[in-house]
Amino acid sequence: MSWCLRQVSQCVQKLWAPQSQQVRYRYHKDKLEKGKLIRRFGYEESLLQRGLLPHVDGKKLPIPIYEPKNSWTESKALFGQNDYIDILGNENLHPTRTHYQIASWLRGVKGNELQVLIRKKKVLGKGIFPYSNPIKWRNINKRVKYLYKFMNYKTNQFVVNKE
Amino acid sequence: MTQRNLEFLPKFEKPRQAWVENLDTVEEKKLGLIDLHPNVFGVMPRLDIIYENMLWQQKYRRVEYHSLRTRAEMPGGGRKPWPQKGQGRARHGSIRSPLFKGGGVAHGPRNPTTYFYMLPFYKRLLGLTTTLSVKLAQVVDLLEIPTEGPKYLEDLVSERCWGVSVLFVDSVDIMPRNITAATCEIGHMNMMPVYGLNVYSMLKHEALVLTVSAVEEIERKIIYNLNRTDAKKKEQRFLVNQV
Repeated sequence: MSWCLRQVSQCVQKLWAPQSQQVRYRYHKDKLEKGKLIRRFGYEESLLQRGLLPHVDGKKLPIPIYEPKNSWTESKALFGQNDYIDILGNENLHPTRTHYQIASWLRGVKGNELQVLIRKKKVLGKGIFPYSNPIKWRNINKRVKYLYKFMNYKTNQFVVNKE
Repeated sequence: MTQRNLEFLPKFEKPRQAWVENLDTVEEKKLGLIDLHPNVFGVMPRLDIIYENMLWQQKYRRVEYHSLRTRAEMPGGGRKPWPQKGQGRARHGSIRSPLFKGGGVAHGPRNPTTYFYMLPFYKRLLGLTTTLSVKLAQVVDLLEIPTEGPKYLEDLVSERCWGVSVLFVDSVDIMPRNITAATCEIGHMNMMPVYGLNVYSMLKHEALVLTVSAVEEIERKIIYNLNRTDAKKKEQRFLVNQV
């Protein structure tokens, strides 16, 4: 019997065989096609997560427009003129003598605040300065007195090493 | 062109040479060759010396005038602002204390602050010779140009590929009228007498243009200073009131 059935079914299959197709599920491809999964729908993030962009909305902070300075003004173009005047010019003229923009008593002066102030006192004290600028003159004297004490008495020179 | 008697030539070095050009036409005409002293224009290019010289030039003239008042220099502040005890407030003795708003400043800037120091004489001399050697100066016969306008000078400089900024140096300090008028209108072309020449300006300008007389003057002064017998006097330490 089974033999007959098999023969018949084979004949039928030869005559008419329906085309069948396999159904394949593409999980990953489908997921990508569907788009990004929406999480926390309706929730708005109040913090910016993007990095260094603090004020995106609202007015920008005022920044002055950059204007390049003229680096060839007369003083800049001729900066350093006469610095070698004792070599290339008059031998007896020291370059500090050409610093016309600096007060004459300050040319070639180097030192700490006390040293410069003492020099200033010595030079300006002879003229009209103490009478024309009494407050400035008093302040100079006060400062000299304070610095003198600070530098001479507030040191460790009186401390004896005990070992 | 010029055969020159170079004094104090080193034994094993030949004099350097440069073309002498003209300024009275835009096109370059070579007028001849000039000998340059190797101890002035052919020195070992030491960048450290140039740097030291430039730094010295910037610093030794610098004076800062910023100042802030200390508590002693401000008016008032003698009265105790409130009693020592009983208010529940911190104890204070003066409204000019550095702790107070509107009080004095404890370690603020004090004026005048100077940054003066003197570079040793022979280091400055070496700075000059090094920079002159590095710069590859253009030598011209005279600073005479035919017109007063700046256009001619700009054309000339671009024709000869001298760059943008040019420093013209002559031995006298009263320059010819035309080139003075022309450079007056162009900020980056400047004129300087020999005694004003310095390392900073040579580096700031792209091209250095010397006249023949300027070359002679510079060489004479530098060679004198390199070979002077009383050099010890120049090496002494700088004192404030010595000049």
